Amino acid sequence: MPLTSIDDKVVRVDAEAKARGEARYIADYSFPDMLYAYMVRSSVPRGRILDIHLPQLPEGYYFISAKDIPENGRNELWMIGKDWRCFADGDVKYVGETIGLLVGPDRNILSYLLDNTKIDYEEEIPAVTIDDALSLKGGVIYGEDNVLCSLYCEKGRPMKDVFDEADSVFTETLETGFQEHVHLDTNGAIVTEEDGKYVFYVSAQCPFYVRKSVAGLLGLNYDDIIIRQVTTGGAFGGKEHFPDVLCGPLLVAESIIHKPIKLIFERKEDMLYSVKRHPSKTIFRTALDKDGNIMGIEGTIYYNCGAYLSASYVVLQRGVFHANGVYDFPATYLKGVGVATNTFPSDAFRGFGAPQTLFAIETHLDHIARKFGFDPAEYKSRYFLKKGGETVTNGHIVEEVKLPEMFKQIADASDYFRKSAEYGIGSGKGIGVSFYNHGGAFTGNGEQAIIKAHARLVKTGERVRIEVGSTEMGQGFQTALRKIAANALGIDIEDVDYPNPDTSLVPDSGPTAASRSTMIVGKIVEECAKEMKERWAEGDFSVEKEYEHPEGHPWDQSTFRGDAYLGYGWGAAIVEVEVDRITNEVKTVGIWTSHDIGHAIDALIVHGQVNGGVIQSLGYASMEKMENRNGHFRQESMSDYVIPTSMDFPKQEWLLVDNPYEWGPQGAKGMGELVFNGADAAYVDAVERALGITVTKIPIPGEDIEEALENV
Amino acid sequence: MYKEIEFRVNGNKVLYSGNPLRRLVDVLREELGLIGVKEGCGEGECGACSIIKDGKLVTSCIIPVGACIGSEILTIEGIRDTEKGKCIVDAFRDGGAVQCGFCIPGMVMAAYALLQSNPTPTEHDVRVAISGNICRCTGYDLIVESIMLAASRGGELWQ
Amino acid sequence: MAVANYIPETLDEALLLRKAEGAIPLAGGTDIMVQNKRGIGLDPILDRPVMIIAGLKELKGITLHEDGSVEIGALTTAGEIASSLVVPWHVRMAASGMGAVALRNSATIGGNIGNASPKGDLPQPLILLDAEVVLISFGGERRMLLDDFIKGSKKTDLRSDELIKSVIIPPHDFTYSYYRKIGMRKANAISKLSLSAAAVVKDGLVVDFRASSGAAGPKVIRSREAESMIIRRSIEDIPEIVPDFLDAWDRAISPHAMPKYRRNTTARMLTRFLEAIVNEEDHGIIE
Repeated sequence: MPLTSIDDKVVRVDAEAKARGEARYIADYSFPDMLYAYMVRSSVPRGRILDIHLPQLPEGYYFISAKDIPENGRNELWMIGKDWRCFADGDVKYVGETIGLLVGPDRNILSYLLDNTKIDYEEEIPAVTIDDALSLKGGVIYGEDNVLCSLYCEKGRPMKDVFDEADSVFTETLETGFQEHVHLDTNGAIVTEEDGKYVFYVSAQCPFYVRKSVAGLLGLNYDDIIIRQVTTGGAFGGKEHFPDVLCGPLLVAESIIHKPIKLIFERKEDMLYSVKRHPSKTIFRTALDKDGNIMGIEGTIYYNCGAYLSASYVVLQRGVFHANGVYDFPATYLKGVGVATNTFPSDAFRGFGAPQTLFAIETHLDHIARKFGFDPAEYKSRYFLKKGGETVTNGHIVEEVKLPEMFKQIADASDYFRKSAEYGIGSGKGIGVSFYNHGGAFTGNGEQAIIKAHARLVKTGERVRIEVGSTEMGQGFQTALRKIAANALGIDIEDVDYPNPDTSLVPDSGPTAASRSTMIVGKIVEECAKEMKERWAEGDFSVEKEYEHPEGHPWDQSTFRGDAYLGYGWGAAIVEVEVDRITNEVKTVGIWTSHDIGHAIDALIVHGQVNGGVIQSLGYASMEKMENRNGHFRQESMSDYVIPTSMDFPKQEWLLVDNPYEWGPQGAKGMGELVFNGADAAYVDAVERALGITVTKIPIPGEDIEEALENV
Repeated sequence: MYKEIEFRVNGNKVLYSGNPLRRLVDVLREELGLIGVKEGCGEGECGACSIIKDGKLVTSCIIPVGACIGSEILTIEGIRDTEKGKCIVDAFRDGGAVQCGFCIPGMVMAAYALLQSNPTPTEHDVRVAISGNICRCTGYDLIVESIMLAASRGGELWQ
Repeated sequence: MAVANYIPETLDEALLLRKAEGAIPLAGGTDIMVQNKRGIGLDPILDRPVMIIAGLKELKGITLHEDGSVEIGALTTAGEIASSLVVPWHVRMAASGMGAVALRNSATIGGNIGNASPKGDLPQPLILLDAEVVLISFGGERRMLLDDFIKGSKKTDLRSDELIKSVIIPPHDFTYSYYRKIGMRKANAISKLSLSAAAVVKDGLVVDFRASSGAAGPKVIRSREAESMIIRRSIEDIPEIVPDFLDAWDRAISPHAMPKYRRNTTARMLTRFLEAIVNEEDHGIIE
């Protein structure tokens, strides 16, 4: 089949094997003489370990813990920070912290050993919420004030002056809860040895992250470790850094036992003992003139980071940089504070800090608009960023911002203005709207200063193999990247291979995260392909290139000034609901979205990404409630932490605007996270209008709506 | 009292004499090597381990093997090369139903069970039929459309 | 380490195991297999022997008796109940809203009753309908009201030598019927709250009135005291009774979690149902 246009839908390369049940996920792998590992974890949120009582271990069974890390190794997992310990040692900081691994051949015996391993603690009072952390409940966890990380950025005149001149100040606190990834394929990894090297098979987004993170445990060189990604059944950020927490202990165990060892989490373990989206609390103080125009916004943004920093500082930065949404306000001061608590460390989750503040700003603006009697959409559109407009970090928008056109598309499709006017506040029917964006790729100069991505194309005969460390985890990248390469090479997509990465065989193209794969890795591959096409007649050869950041877009990571992102994806969403006034059950009757993702690489993949991201966002707003009491998560199964089924939301209408991006492959920008970033706020707006309530916290299941109704 | 558990899996006779409480999913995956049956939750909530037992869709993670005496069990491996199975698999492939794929074999089984009893389902019928099969990636729209596609493409196959 | 588990071939064998070893009956497995799961590749372990009775034909099927009562065998699945034409509406509604397709193909009425979870779907409408449970042992059979059989959360009157044989639902002819289940989502959800209600109205007089609340206390709540406030009253009198009736119902239920939501929603549902009676809406199902 000759490839004609980039817009052609192609069949996903991985679809048939997956649908036939032939794709092998980590749980489907086994090796001769393979042992199993069970994690021994902390059962208390904070305290000192006094004693570990192990039952008698039969021959061939092992308990691996901090004591097994050699002298030249360090008990730390190197994520972005290095504070996350491979094994708790002396004290525990959260429920579920790894204390050791029980390893052996028979799972029944291991289960018995696990049940009979008793740990004595001297328990301390945990800090669980942001307020707990700020009030130093139970004493300091980190530093002097429990602040793990903080930053601020400002634009325009000093907010103090703006407040002095304001006619009124609207102050509001908006909160979001934990969210669990619930990738259907739970976390898992297998370690083994091959030719004197440690080899991992792992369900992961970022094979090179794993290698970097665990090498120091044994004082190894990176080349001593090989990471092979296996078919990964969903990740959503939950397998960005978290696989390190499985692979670290496995590496230590392997260095002693020297047999294949498999560690698979069951669902309950994945629910209770894995990373979550950061809960947040945003306090906005907005200066308004007498007509309700915004003169400036001050925001203080708290993220609950859990017990370790891991990637939280970067998550927090993205949260702060998205805290004015798609708007250009004359003045702003935004401060972000990441606090330490005795909960499981929070980490990457689709959107990476942006969804929390985007929900906050959208909902806050809705409330101001309503207070002054404006239609929220009309009100917000006054402040839309435009090309060349100044961002909160004093950078500038590089692309045409098509939000007015996007809003018109969905307003027409949904009959927004008629419905907005007709459905009275509190009528039981509501239609809501939100606008959002997502900065593409790593924040600031991360791509050029830290990642330095490489990609390689290898030509053998008439076939070309893509060699990158980027992974397929369901988002469709194996198909999209092959399509980009085939198109640039002018060959059939069937003649392009792209196997799951093996770190010993491919260059490091950076993590599969931050919606950077198509935009950054795709671009390098496209550049490689262009060169390969010119030299096609040379026979068998390879082309490898490094990412080149466009000139003229400065960023200062020490002051957070400049172009935080070189291009954004943009979105607009409308959600329509009907609320049962007897039961407070919300029925979503319509969902309309429009996105600017540059130029779409593949319509079918984009369709699937939009649908999935939007539903995750609606779940986040409506039903996905993960509570933590005294350091323990209360939801531990898929029946008490519920995510949307096929019955919960109607078929979506999704639209795109074409806006080719100068530096992306064939004009493409990132999209995986963007599509998560806004439907939540549109849903909340719709529910608020239907019931005449004010919502300042998500999720809002029926019982929380009941509370809000009492406050009307 | 039964001492042995005899049943058929994908047409092949299976004789099992261990603990009758052993989970069917473990027998299928670990003893018969049928890895297309996925385990997503272990408590019948996600549908990844869906199989067809005596013509009915069930989740194999909460069925003890002792409840399978005389049963005819069908897994994805047993239908994927049949005309009907191929019809669904092809529709899933062509319709963009597959993302991470972990829920998909179970989803295919749910679609198979639906189309066997209802050859011309409405969109609502399809949504009900897969409401026990959780997918975190797709938002379901393309899965629903793909099942409708399988129904229309299959035509008389399902009558 | 593990006790023996059994698969009886006949009801007699099952009753023998019940008598001799107090073996726990497992029908669909949707409760026992979940509550006792130990993980991937590991068999559930219980402290008593389990007997898998899924195959016992003696306990299956739905029968419409001549007196109009409906008898449902203990091993009848929720799916079979939902698609039966003779099962009363309230029970069919509850069965069709249980879990999702696959669960309904496994879960049985006997299991749902025997497990006696306050959130169980079937006991609520069955208790509304004054259903009786038939219990069988070598000593014979006994019948009792399901409302008496279920004593509390996870507690029943089942003797260690007995099995649940069937459920018998007496005939009825309601003028108005109401059923709502509120789950954590639209499908495949455990009940957050449920309510059934029914009334017979003749010539402006409420001849029969009943309601039952699920997931609102340790067991299904039917307050006869509150019901009696409505029965034999003329529909014109009802509006003034409603506040006292709602108070009485509110005292009867004892929701543990989400108390405000459960209490208020229950009151709103009951109000809606009474409103339909007072307004003499079209007979049948009230939404």
